[in-house]
This record gives sequence, C-alpha cells and structure tokens, in this order.
Amino acid sequence: MDELELLKKDWKKDDTLKYPKLSYNEIYTMILRKSSSIVKWIFIISILEFVFWTFIAFAFKGSKSLKEFEKFDSDFVIIPLTIAGYIVLAYFFYLFYRNYRNISVTDNAKVLMENILKTRRTVRQYVAFNLVYLVIATFAGIYIQFDQNPAVINRAEMASANGEAFMFYAKLFLMTSAVLLIIIGILLLFYWLIYGILLKRLNRNYKELRKLEV
Amino acid sequence: MNKELEHSFVELLEEHQNIVHKVCRLYTNNQDAHNDLFQEITIQLWKAYPKFRGDSKFSTWMYRVGLNTAITLYRKSKRIINTYDIESFQFKIKAEEYDDTEEQQLKLLYQAVHQLNDIEKALVFLYLEDKDYREISETLGISEVNARVKMNRVKTKLKTILNP
Repeated sequence: MDELELLKKDWKKDDTLKYPKLSYNEIYTMILRKSSSIVKWIFIISILEFVFWTFIAFAFKGSKSLKEFEKFDSDFVIIPLTIAGYIVLAYFFYLFYRNYRNISVTDNAKVLMENILKTRRTVRQYVAFNLVYLVIATFAGIYIQFDQNPAVINRAEMASANGEAFMFYAKLFLMTSAVLLIIIGILLLFYWLIYGILLKRLNRNYKELRKLEV
Repeated sequence: MNKELEHSFVELLEEHQNIVHKVCRLYTNNQDAHNDLFQEITIQLWKAYPKFRGDSKFSTWMYRVGLNTAITLYRKSKRIINTYDIESFQFKIKAEEYDDTEEQQLKLLYQAVHQLNDIEKALVFLYLEDKDYREISETLGISEVNARVKMNRVKTKLKTILNP
C-alpha cells in the first residue's frame, strides 16, 4: 500500500479523540490576544527605519557643524538635497503603506509571500537611497569647504606649495571613504542580521515555490 | 455588531477547530509549539474574518489562512524549544521493541512527514484532506501540473526517508 494512503486512513480516523477540544471560551480568549506574526514585526521594524532616518536628518540639521556650514554660500546644495530628501521619504512611505495594505492572509501562498517581500523591498530601497544620499551629502559638504572655508583653502594651498597636493587630497579622500564605508558596513551588517533572521524561512519557502514553476 | 461577529466567528471556529489542529500537527513537534501556532492561526482567522464573504465554505477558507500562517506568517515563539518530545521518543523505542505493526509504520510515517520542508508538508496536508489538484494549486499559487509533479516527488521523498 502507498505510504500516503496508509497515512490518510489514519488521518481520517475519528478526529475527536486525537485533538484537544477547545471550548468556546478558550477560543474567545485567543482572539483577544495579540499576533506575533512576521508581518507585524516587519511593519514595526519598517516604521522604525523611517523614523530612524528622519531622526538622523533632523539631528544633523540641528548640529553645530551644519550651523557653521550655513555661514557659507551653500543653499544651492542644501536646499535641493533637503527637498529631495522629503520628496523621496514621502514617496517611499506611500509605496510602503500601499504594499503593506496589500498583504492579505487569504491570498494564495505565493502571492502572500510576494506581497510581503515587495513591502520589504520598498524599505530596502529607501535605506539604499539614504546611504547614497549620505555619500553625496558628505562629498558635497567637502566640496563646499574647499570652495569657501578659508581655513581649509589655506591648508590646501600650503600643501600644494610644499608639493604635497596629491598626498593631501588622496589622504582626505581615503579617510572620508573609510569613515563612510565603516558606517555603511555597520548598517548593512545590522540589516543583514535582522532580516536574515526574520525572513529566512519566508525566503526559503518562496524559493521552493518559485523552483516549482521553472 | 462586533459582539455578533465575535460570536459567529468563535462558534464557527469551535465547530471546525480540527482543521487548525491538523495544520498544527504537521508543522509542530510538541504541545507548546502546537498551542502557539494554534493561537496565531486563530488570530489570523479572526483578523481576516470580517472580509470572509461566505462565497467559499468556512472550512475551505480556513485551509488557506491556516496554511499561510504556518508557512509564512508564523514566527516561533522564543519560549518554545523545538525538539521531539520525550514521550513520543519513548514510544518509538517501545514500539520498535515490541511491535512491528501498522501502528509502528504510522509513527515512522509521521516522523518522515515532519522531515519534509514547509511547502511539501502543505502538499501532504491538502492531499490528506482529500483536496483535488485544482484546489492545491489555488492554495499554493502554483499550476495544477506542477502541483501534481511535486506531489509525486514528495511521495518518492517519503519512500526514500522511510527506506534509506
């Protein structure tokens, strides 16, 4: 006899003996509890990510170094960057919310997984945008310093008078890049850990379903 | 209105609770995990219930929500240590020593099913529940042909696990 047929025979035997029978009240208490599904976690973490990046932007705006910076003629860089930042935040948040609303437990398994992954992808793109933004803003800041900060201009001129211009710029570029890389590295590691753990099973099952369709 | 909804939902679930127990049986290995998954499926069913229009049977709708929760939404609670419980292990030893009957074969079969991956378990579950390939394909979001092919592979895999 086919193994599964044997299993089916047993599966169909009187269920009432096999499983605990929960009472009306027991089930009622259950519907009052809170879910701990991955969708809920993804929602919380995603919102925290939006809050985190908005907070970083505000913290930076109130910082001393930016106040110093405002002395220079830097509006042509800061204003477009700030506006771009808000437009992109609004756009990604709208996308995220729309995707999140689309998640429905009554869809088929594949569509449900796709919708969850789509929501994640939106937030990931937002984070990627922020990292690129961070790099652009840093280099724009350096450019303005060299263009307008007398102290920096002076040091650059001294270096070039000593014939060390190349070394000076190379050092500056390497140090800035290293700091940026470390910050980005830490953030990526953090993401990799959180989502690696949270989405491991989902990704595995999604791959398995996709494999069936090839 | 909300009270009415609660009442009708809890009554329906009370009546059909075995479907949820069966999903839990395939996807968990011990009583704590079983209860935890049962709880999560109940919450997901309840959250989706206002949109349940009754154009499908409540039980059919439950299969989908139950499997989706088990495969995709459920996160194992921290307090659950995922191991085979000692009782069933003891039973296994006894069974191997004292009888080699259908009971023993079933025990091994259930253990083999537990070794399948989440998607394969879903196929087995729907098969055991006498669902046809159309419904299996609609629940998982794959084509009927692929559901059939995969089912045959699962049968072969179970044979291999049982007779290595």
